[in-house]
Amino acid sequence: MTTDNRARRWATAGTGLALALSLAACGGNVGGGTAAEGEEFPGDDPITVLVGQDPGGSTDLIARALADEVSDDLGVPVTVENRPGANGALAAQELAGAEPDGHTLMVYNGSLAYITPLAVAEGEAPDIADYEIVTGISQDDYVLVTAPSSGFTTVEDLANAGRPITFGTTGVGTGSQLSQELLFNQAGIEATAVPFDGGSPTLTAVLGGQVDVGSIQLGEAIEQIEAGELTPIVTFAEERVSYLPDTPTAIEAGYDVPVQQSRAVFAPKGTPEDVIETLQASFQTAFGSEAYQQFNQDNQLTPNEIDGEEVRQAWTSNLDRYRSVVEQYSIDLGGDS
Amino acid sequence: MDLAPVLDGFGVVLQPTNLLYCLIGVVVGMLVGVLPGLGPAATIAILLPITIGIEPVTAVIMLAGIFYGAQYGGTITSVLLRLPGEASSVVTVFDGFALARQGRAGTALGIAAVGSFLGGTVSIVALSFVAPLVAGFALDFGPPEYTALALLGILLVATVSSGDRLKAVIAACLGLLLATVGRDGFTGAERFTFDNLSLADGLDFVPIAMGLFGLGEILYNLEERHRAVHAPATVANVWPSRADLRQSSGAIGRGSVLGFFLGILPGGGATLASLAAYAMEKRRSKTPERFGRGAVEGVAAPESANNAAATSSFIPLLTLGIPANATMAVIYGALLIQGVSPGPQLVDQEPELFWGVVNSMYIGNILLLIMSIPLVGLFVKILRVRATILAPITVLITLIGVYTVNYDVFDIGLVVVFGALGYLMKKLGFDPGPLVLAFVLGSLLEDSLRRSLLLFDGDPTGFLTRPISGTLLVLFLVVVLLPVIRAALARRRSTDRRNTKELV
Repeated sequence: MTTDNRARRWATAGTGLALALSLAACGGNVGGGTAAEGEEFPGDDPITVLVGQDPGGSTDLIARALADEVSDDLGVPVTVENRPGANGALAAQELAGAEPDGHTLMVYNGSLAYITPLAVAEGEAPDIADYEIVTGISQDDYVLVTAPSSGFTTVEDLANAGRPITFGTTGVGTGSQLSQELLFNQAGIEATAVPFDGGSPTLTAVLGGQVDVGSIQLGEAIEQIEAGELTPIVTFAEERVSYLPDTPTAIEAGYDVPVQQSRAVFAPKGTPEDVIETLQASFQTAFGSEAYQQFNQDNQLTPNEIDGEEVRQAWTSNLDRYRSVVEQYSIDLGGDS
Repeated sequence: MDLAPVLDGFGVVLQPTNLLYCLIGVVVGMLVGVLPGLGPAATIAILLPITIGIEPVTAVIMLAGIFYGAQYGGTITSVLLRLPGEASSVVTVFDGFALARQGRAGTALGIAAVGSFLGGTVSIVALSFVAPLVAGFALDFGPPEYTALALLGILLVATVSSGDRLKAVIAACLGLLLATVGRDGFTGAERFTFDNLSLADGLDFVPIAMGLFGLGEILYNLEERHRAVHAPATVANVWPSRADLRQSSGAIGRGSVLGFFLGILPGGGATLASLAAYAMEKRRSKTPERFGRGAVEGVAAPESANNAAATSSFIPLLTLGIPANATMAVIYGALLIQGVSPGPQLVDQEPELFWGVVNSMYIGNILLLIMSIPLVGLFVKILRVRATILAPITVLITLIGVYTVNYDVFDIGLVVVFGALGYLMKKLGFDPGPLVLAFVLGSLLEDSLRRSLLLFDGDPTGFLTRPISGTLLVLFLVVVLLPVIRAALARRRSTDRRNTKELV
């Protein structure tokens, strides 16, 4: 914490100094704007990466794994700061207000961009059009699991259960909820959503047979799946997940419900082109490192290291697609959306 | 029982860092135990931000050390100054101070230390066996069971806790109300957020605990401790004699067992255990008139009981994720900050954390025994530190601390608001404990209730048909109705007597 504080103080001092120098050089041309002008980004200033989730969660771990590598590559400290709250909207709000100089970034969750807007009132979820996107990071797959004692192994089993199904979700406005709502609506299965508070309680409820099934991020359920304590029914990925080669995707099972958690690096709107490019190159170097690739393996993450514009297109089309199917099946994700 | 994780736990404890933090924890615990007013809940709340930078197991080892260390420390001032350092040492005052006046302060402290050590140790051993058992059927705990448990917990907190029952219920209700702030997890609707994103996820537990316990207590103590502390009696010969030990051995044994069970109960804990153990010894004794005049058992029983209870109150927290008392609620907060959600999966998924913490208590108790016998004099000196110096420093640490948790100025505001509330509550005789606990259990209660009703398809009789939730609800009714029935019986008996008199 002390280092964080110190880093921030230096950051402020550094910005001030750079600003003063550039002012002097430009003869008072205030329109010059960013601190980085006249010197190569990132200069000597540290970079802060905001995370909208609690420490220890998958988003936080990803940010920290990348921060180490990027710091080595750029030669400046890269610190991760957690601003948990409102599905990440709190951190996004802070990012929007930060100086667009490349020194404040955020690891942004796709669900905040294309699922939360369907669950909360208009204007409560941030709009990705208000940010620059540096690069995509990776995708996390959802898997529909059940306790072996339930006897269910396929979606047909669920349809033929002869009673309404209960399903656990990791919360309102999450991929876990959306994926199951879509699946059960398309399969015509009568089902009740029971929202829990995150992955671990959902997992516990499925293990204990409190709910029939649950959709959980792969990394959180893989241990129990491998130990035989959970039966995977389908994954919600586009293609078979390399970590679960024997489990069909929902698409293979005949339902059009690809839902994934995707993550990308965001910067404030107005960050200069060349700074974005430098950052992008640095993240590419980070993606290539052995330690980071091992990290992806260990956490069952599928790399999705596409550039910023592709991320924007993919996420925007996700939002449109989800919005139309949600309307088509009149699914109610939240209260008043 | 599989012994490997238990042994691994010892490996965790014996790492130098963990040993060091265990030592820091028990020393801090002793210190705050000695200081009247500043309790373990307040101290742990104030120190929460420090735990962010360290490993979860290390953090909890330290915080647990503060909790049970305070039980030792609280005794010292009870005996020497007739000033209970902790609520759980209030009953120790009766016989402890009487012994001190007879020049036997050393004996009282010695017996208390030995009793605390034995009580703590018995409880850890029992914890090691019971906790995995509870965790074993913890998967059967679904939303309906948590609903019943949370209800029972809030009720017990409000009725069992010392002090005014009505005020405790009011404080608990306030806690329940505060728990409703934030985005509704089921519909996404905003509740009492006033369009403020900082409130979207509800009020954070840490600033509330730091405000109510930390700042509130400090403000209240500033008012209380203006009178100078007179120099304590000198302490000679702390080693209890063989005769004293023989006399109190029964009391230590009974106190430990009683304390263990009362500690597990929601709303129970160290204070209740020490009161109950004292009452039990007095009732059992053939010479109850000795109590209050320097009976060694009167020190041994409550001191064993409060330590046993302090230890066993970790059981519901670590196995079910339900804090049994205010201090456990703060430790629960610490675990959440660390990204560890205590619950049925903890023993299986984080054996190192679970056994590391449990086994650290053996070490901590040994350290405390060593510290409390020869080093008593040193700790008494802390009482000479003036409140005018201590208070501003603690306030500063509290405010800086809460800022470092989320780097959010909003949290500082929250601490100040809740600090003022905590001060007013104390001043008007409200215990902030039920508020904090009800706040923590409130969201559990609401969420579990709504989940249960979703599972039951809206049919509330579902609660009664499941064995565990049914039993818990019957217990709930018993606790509610017992005082009413007892009062009714007492009235009938008195009328009966009057009737018989009239007949005669």
